[in-house]
Amino acid sequence: MEKQLALNIIHRPELSPEYAERALGGRKDVTDESLEIFLFQQQAAHKNGLKTTIHITYASLFSDEIVKVAKEHNKKYGDEIAMSLLGLPCKQFKEKYKTEDFCIWMFDEKTKMEIIDDCFSLFYEKFGFYPQSTGSYFLDAFCINYIKSKYPSVKCAVATCWEEGPKAYHTCNNSWYTFMDGGPWNPWIPSKINSHCPASDKDDDSGIVAIPHLSRDLMACFDGNGSNFGTHPQNVLRGMIYYNDNGSIEYPYLYNLIDQYRHLEKYNDGYSYNMMFVGPGWLNKAGRWEAPYELLAKSYEDGMKYYGKLKKQGKLLDLTMSEFADYYRRRHTDYKMPECALWKDILYGSDKQYFWLADPTKRLCLDFNQGGAMVDLRPYVARIPQKTGIGTDDVYDASYPYLIQINYRAGYFTHYAGAGTIKSCKVSYKGESADLCLCRTMATFEKTENGVKLTANPVTVTIKGLDIVIKSTYLFEKSGRVVTTREIVNDLHGEEVTIEEYFTGAFGTTEYQADMTKLTLGVGDTSMKYGYLGKSISSKQTSKPLVAFVEIPDVTTRVEMGGDVDELCVSEGIAFSPVYHLSVKKSLQKGGVTTWLNLQKAN
Amino acid sequence: MAQSSKGKLNFRCPSCFMRDIDIDMFYDSDKEEYYCLRCCFHGNEAQVEALNEMARYRYGRLKMRVADFGEDNVPATFVSHKRGEQ
Repeated sequence: MEKQLALNIIHRPELSPEYAERALGGRKDVTDESLEIFLFQQQAAHKNGLKTTIHITYASLFSDEIVKVAKEHNKKYGDEIAMSLLGLPCKQFKEKYKTEDFCIWMFDEKTKMEIIDDCFSLFYEKFGFYPQSTGSYFLDAFCINYIKSKYPSVKCAVATCWEEGPKAYHTCNNSWYTFMDGGPWNPWIPSKINSHCPASDKDDDSGIVAIPHLSRDLMACFDGNGSNFGTHPQNVLRGMIYYNDNGSIEYPYLYNLIDQYRHLEKYNDGYSYNMMFVGPGWLNKAGRWEAPYELLAKSYEDGMKYYGKLKKQGKLLDLTMSEFADYYRRRHTDYKMPECALWKDILYGSDKQYFWLADPTKRLCLDFNQGGAMVDLRPYVARIPQKTGIGTDDVYDASYPYLIQINYRAGYFTHYAGAGTIKSCKVSYKGESADLCLCRTMATFEKTENGVKLTANPVTVTIKGLDIVIKSTYLFEKSGRVVTTREIVNDLHGEEVTIEEYFTGAFGTTEYQADMTKLTLGVGDTSMKYGYLGKSISSKQTSKPLVAFVEIPDVTTRVEMGGDVDELCVSEGIAFSPVYHLSVKKSLQKGGVTTWLNLQKAN
Repeated sequence: MAQSSKGKLNFRCPSCFMRDIDIDMFYDSDKEEYYCLRCCFHGNEAQVEALNEMARYRYGRLKMRVADFGEDNVPATFVSHKRGEQ
């Protein structure tokens, strides 16, 4: 029982789904078709012995039939009736709010409150109680705090789509404005200040458990289109991740993906999670993504069948959202407990491996195909008080800023002029150097008293005929520090090498860098303002250990590096290469070097 | 000559798909072909389907089922997927 995959299945009756309205050319039978899709989804779950959470949309509140069905299914199958803040568009909504907007986080604050009150009041009128669960593609802290204060029964919400940001925008030919990347991939308790960040303690706890919209492939979605690689059968069809076997369409990737999520229990004390939430538009009768309706329907039924099979085998626990919130709270009694995922490639045939970690201080990813380099870093410790919606500085961009994001900002650098964001290590010998980014390896996870630890398989760099075998370990302390040890494990026969741990960073939510002149860089008490002149500060280590740092006011973050080293350095970039560098290094003939990285909130 | 329209299914441009852009093509009934508004791709349904098949080249494990995720520091092992099995 300890190792069951916890599952949330959500169905949303829209009655006037945008997709279907467009696809069917505004035909009068859109409402009927939408209802049919909802009933089909419900039936697919129920016949496999699975319960669902019914996300009642605004339009559904005006449908006596939907209200009746929801009540029946609640009674008969134990389905939860929840209030969705998705699926707002309908005749009644558009007439009342005089808008074509439909994303709750994009309205101004006054309208957000009006819509929430409208939805929850109507819900109460129809069902006689307030919901325990709600959700949208994204819910900002403002909405969550407002909902929790007015409707304290709410304990669970769909609050983000993992890594839906610039990639989703580009995939839709620069037309899909769901910028919300940088959040956790698995459920979390959101901070009151910024909903992306896991709460640090009871005072910071928003009072709800947040779940992601879908369980997404933690490798494929980082590199490619997020909407192709998730526990959403029609996303898998969209990605063309299926083949025809003598007339039978097969998609083993969907089952491999669910299984890898099951495997994550190994890194999270026996806990693992999945979420499937397919909106009705993905199952419309006109077909979608080159797939006819029959294939759309078959894939959905197959997804439910696989979950049903796992349940019958005792490997899956189907829960409604509010049940899951209670389940999650019972298992996550320590706010500082990180969510971990050591993720292997299951699609492309490479041996790539990522390690993802999210805790109240940060979200990060290490790529062991690049020697364990840090390829994504989000400073949750800063609790950046982002506001989104009309009337704020970020009308649509709700992504949590990165300091490192190798796909938006280059990573290990492959041409001659500039630098990309990444944290890695260089080894030097007799004037030549090699970067561990070019050493492909894999790692082993273990839990320690002080956090979690990754140990990479040793790698060999060869410089001027000298083989240097290095074992890297990464300790993620509960305090938030990341402690990295590079140990030389072979005999260098008295030769001296230099190990330099470096951090090349930036900040932002997209591929483009904002002004960096507010940054301050320094080592110890010596500092400078960023001026795009390529200036550096370096200092030998002193008896009182020094710290190399950068302060970035735009994201209220201070990054620090230090350790058992000989020298520390910071440097700014240039206009053509707007990044900053921190580095610490040590020369040695044997043994190792231990360094640390720490993120702090800066005012 | 009538304006172009969507085809019987929303065929996306295979050339753009391979660069991670989903853009529906339009159908030119005079030339009996689909064409992309963003790039210069054009082709009939059979050509589009053949290119969609080609686009799957990157999915090296398309027909494979994970047998075992194994120890952390070694790759997962796979077996051929069997039709109809989960």
